[in-house]
Amino acid sequence: MSEYQEKSLDLAPEQLTKKDIWIMWLRFYFANEIPHTFDRYIAPSLMWCLMPVLKKLYKDKSELAAAYERHLLFFNTQISWGGGIISGLMASLEQERAGQVYRGEEITITDDLIYNTKAGLMGALAGIGDSIDSGTIQYIFIAIAIPWAQAGQAVGALFPFIAFSLYQLLIGYFFASQGFSMGRRASELLTSNTMQNLINVLSILGLFMMGVLAANYVKVTSSLAFTISGKEFVIQDTLDTVFPGLLPILTVFGVYGYFVKKGMNVTKALIGLTVILGILGAVGIL
Amino acid sequence: METLSVWQALIIALWIGAVMSRSFLGGATTTLRFTPMMTGLVCGIVMGDVANAMIVVAAIQLIYMGVFSPGGQMPSEPAIAAAVAVPVALLGNLDAEASIAIAVPVGLLGSYLYQFRFFLNTLVLKATDKYAAEANGAKLTFCIIGMPIIIAFLLFTPLMFVALYFGSPVIASIVNAAAGTLVFHVLSVIGNGLAAIGIAVTVYVIGRKEYIVFFLLAYFLCVMLKTLSIPMITYAIIGTVIAVIFVLAQNSKTE
Repeated sequence: MSEYQEKSLDLAPEQLTKKDIWIMWLRFYFANEIPHTFDRYIAPSLMWCLMPVLKKLYKDKSELAAAYERHLLFFNTQISWGGGIISGLMASLEQERAGQVYRGEEITITDDLIYNTKAGLMGALAGIGDSIDSGTIQYIFIAIAIPWAQAGQAVGALFPFIAFSLYQLLIGYFFASQGFSMGRRASELLTSNTMQNLINVLSILGLFMMGVLAANYVKVTSSLAFTISGKEFVIQDTLDTVFPGLLPILTVFGVYGYFVKKGMNVTKALIGLTVILGILGAVGIL
Repeated sequence: METLSVWQALIIALWIGAVMSRSFLGGATTTLRFTPMMTGLVCGIVMGDVANAMIVVAAIQLIYMGVFSPGGQMPSEPAIAAAVAVPVALLGNLDAEASIAIAVPVGLLGSYLYQFRFFLNTLVLKATDKYAAEANGAKLTFCIIGMPIIIAFLLFTPLMFVALYFGSPVIASIVNAAAGTLVFHVLSVIGNGLAAIGIAVTVYVIGRKEYIVFFLLAYFLCVMLKTLSIPMITYAIIGTVIAVIFVLAQNSKTE
């Protein structure tokens, strides 16, 4: 009897602390895209970040091996929103499961439940995370820094790099700890009013900054000029008085319209626009 | 024609290895890979001309505005593009706009290399199944973190070194020979217009069609106020204020 107690005490899962979640998140932030493969995408990163957590929870080697294998199945998401929330959520589910295993209860946190929770969230979170983080916040920082770079200053490169990396590191930790404490309710985080408002503000700000960038940096001008009965007509001067900024915005919406109609194929748009601009430039219209 | 020294080429090639292996501060490589700016700065420091490197890379950044990788697929690799285009521009005293003509094809080639990295990772990481079944932590770490980093350095660094050390003076002299000709006019027309791509990508990805009015508002505000040269930060503040007002108004309507 005493021997049995000793053994079972050894197998008791340890309590996960804030520090464990911080270390888990740092490991995910570091591993992220390093082991990206064609068959499981970034599943190895998720497994690797959970390793210390799983070691604390499963003292039995075969349970630990099973937990490792559970997290090697296909997984792909975005680093801070997806990676943060899901890694925290996985730690919470595994903690619950480890308790059930130890107490010899019926296991309600099954492999299927764990995988379906991951799979259900990873795509939606990647969509939000990519468009907010990489698509909006990153380019707001860059938009602010571009004039510095154009003036030849190193801070033009350093500012967006440091600001964006820190932002993702911190917001990812926030999401990881939220995911851990909320457990399976974590998906409510996204549907909350505050979060929806924040997403709307950022979307509007992102579009606003793109407008500023388009006005400053898309430079499409006509170099056409005629001489009619001794008087010179420069097309661009006429355009500037009638409709200033017409050609650049036509170019932007031309590409946008192409994406709306044919889907977002950036490579084709890049090649197509290069050819069109090249021809118009060569014949002297631009 | 000046060339890069062995050391200069090697340091830039190692930097690209560190970024494309995604190992330099881990998640921090997200922005190192999507934007050419830091790579441009590194080239500037290595070549002793930070000011001109920044001017060139700012022009390259504009065509990659809005580029990121939904689902890990990216049409071009801005960091690799900058690692070749910035040194070539500095060696050949090229216009920032002309350097774009070098950056675009190099960036496209770079994206094939990155796909090849996934392929090699796929082969090597097969072993994780075995180590997971053994619950072998040390071997899992080596297989998941160590091997992919080594593979990426072996893939990117030698190729970048060869391209920079042998290729860059050749490219610089070809582009230089084109200076002042019609070819050059065409290149700068293309370079100035391509920024439209990245902006259109971002507008498309942010996606809410009814919000495009905010894009138009900012665009025409900027065109009107161009002579005032208002700093970007001011525009960012105005944009935030407008966005918050809009969301507040929307909420009070639904309440």
